[in-house]
Amino acid sequence: MPRLLATQSHVVHGYVGNKAATFPLQCLGWDVDCCNSVQFSNHTGYGMDKVFGNITEQHHLDQLLSGLFNNFPKEYNAMLSGYLPNKDSVRCMGTNYKRFKMANKDSIWLMDPVMGDEGVLYVSEDVIPEYRALALSEDSKVDIITPNQFELEILYDKKINSMDELKLALLHLHKTIPIIVVTSCNSKIFDDQEYIYCIASMKGKEPIVYRVPLIDSYFTGVGDLFSALLVDKVFSLLTGKSNQEFAQQVNAVLNIIQRVLHLTKSMGPKNIKSKIGSALDMKEMELRIIEARDLFTECNGGDENFIHSRL
Amino acid sequence: MDYTSPIKCRKVLSIQSHVIHGYVGNKAATFPLQYRGWDVDVLNTVQFSNHPGYETFTGYKYDPKTLQDIVENGLVDSLHIDYDAVLTGYLPSVENLQNLAHIINKMKETNKHLKWILDPVLGDNGRLYVSGDNVPAYKTLLRENTIYLVTPNQFEMETLTEITISSLETLRRSFQEYHRLYPKTERIVVTSLELNSDDSTYIVACCDTTNKDDDIWFFEVPKIKAHFNGSGDLFAALLLDILVPSRSLEVNYPSNHIPLHEALGQTLWLVNEVLERTFELARPLLVNGENVDQEIPKIKDLRLIQCRALFALDCIPSLTPTRVPSTVV
Repeated sequence: MPRLLATQSHVVHGYVGNKAATFPLQCLGWDVDCCNSVQFSNHTGYGMDKVFGNITEQHHLDQLLSGLFNNFPKEYNAMLSGYLPNKDSVRCMGTNYKRFKMANKDSIWLMDPVMGDEGVLYVSEDVIPEYRALALSEDSKVDIITPNQFELEILYDKKINSMDELKLALLHLHKTIPIIVVTSCNSKIFDDQEYIYCIASMKGKEPIVYRVPLIDSYFTGVGDLFSALLVDKVFSLLTGKSNQEFAQQVNAVLNIIQRVLHLTKSMGPKNIKSKIGSALDMKEMELRIIEARDLFTECNGGDENFIHSRL
Repeated sequence: MDYTSPIKCRKVLSIQSHVIHGYVGNKAATFPLQYRGWDVDVLNTVQFSNHPGYETFTGYKYDPKTLQDIVENGLVDSLHIDYDAVLTGYLPSVENLQNLAHIINKMKETNKHLKWILDPVLGDNGRLYVSGDNVPAYKTLLRENTIYLVTPNQFEMETLTEITISSLETLRRSFQEYHRLYPKTERIVVTSLELNSDDSTYIVACCDTTNKDDDIWFFEVPKIKAHFNGSGDLFAALLLDILVPSRSLEVNYPSNHIPLHEALGQTLWLVNEVLERTFELARPLLVNGENVDQEIPKIKDLRLIQCRALFALDCIPSLTPTRVPSTVV
């Protein structure tokens, strides 16, 4: 049985962070060890005055991760990180994950550098150098990153306005990171209101552009579900459990996500486009992770081909 | 394309401990419940690296105020979540226990169907795991609150009733005493009873006090020669699943409840399958591992993920119950 360590947020109600990642991975046969970087009642889209709970203090996070390393130094096949609330928690995750990675050479580390989206930073600015150091230092141990375009620009430290600039950014990051998946590109590169564009790039190969129909609604936790499914697919690729190529693997992930979003929308109230800050709307739009149980294993990517072009 | 799901979720709030590695507390309850179609809101009372059955562990307990804030201000007052059930297991302090009773009663004001399943975690095998002030706190809580189901083990039942259980006769007296002391408890299941020197089975007994005609039933469950951490937490979660109907079903078909002893028989079958499978999977490690000298090996982690096909079963076989005779000769 493969075993994965995931460090990200925990919400009591709803499906973001570890709550979005854990159940799908368990359905796929993973023992998921989830380390919670926060425990909140629900995600912040419900309105900041409706979020209760607290952040795991840095010394506690460090105790937990070092405690795991001492007891289970050789057990992890994969490590995943998502939202971490501040620079100390990012650094702590990084330090501890490096130790796991060094003790388990064949393990894979997926880091989702959660910092913001569409020009808005959700973490404090001092988090930026921490993620840059983890991703860009010469001895980086990270195997996969899944930034959106905004986060990619932050790591690259330059705006990206064209396909050529995007290619240069990927080349730059590939000096240290083998796999980069840009989960959404903005309209400066692909000016299209009906589709989301996503790029999957493996070092030394032509990046692949995927075009996925945009579902008009407000979903949360999609990125967390994406990185969880991606780590499973890349793991089966590297361990020879699947004969699909990387391009097909990413296509399969996008198919599952698309099905989960359609299911979520179809089960929500009709004719409501949820608004951030409206708690009762948010409650209806939580990803239907439990109802989607069979999709995680049955949907294998043969359904729809989202591959659009090569970059 | 068909965007529907065959799964109709029921909702439960599970308040228990969290371990990063392994399966006890919420980690033992959540995945099986989710796999069986429950939307589980998971409130963690502690976060530990692993359970204390390992030589070392790290972590911390959540402050009772923070936990209360999350449930009362968040889940209840802001989100108005309509739960079918609340499941409570190990709580790190008496203050947690008192807060909880207050909040669950508040939830019941707007949701009459809410069912509280309570595992009164005090200790096992003659030993308290928790500080002594938990005993009077649980006694008060059970006296004052309506509980849909409690699941004490032998030691906890003995502590709550102050009757030593050594035979079917004393078991019956202990149920009677429990009901006299805590008449607001609706259903009682006593787990892992050792009534005689027969080493090959243990007893699990139940009584549904909402049904005046119902008897005390018991099951003889074959023992697996190992100790499993988390099996009690898994048991409570699965019994909840099998016993608690979906709200819509209950409103439309109020008599459609499965009797407690039938639900218990199915739960015992399912838990037993999980333990046997875990034992099989752990056996190679036991032969070569540190446990080789122990007569009763300790299996620290249930293999819940490998057992997931069991959790998907629609029809669950059952162990066969026996009535406790009304007068034991």
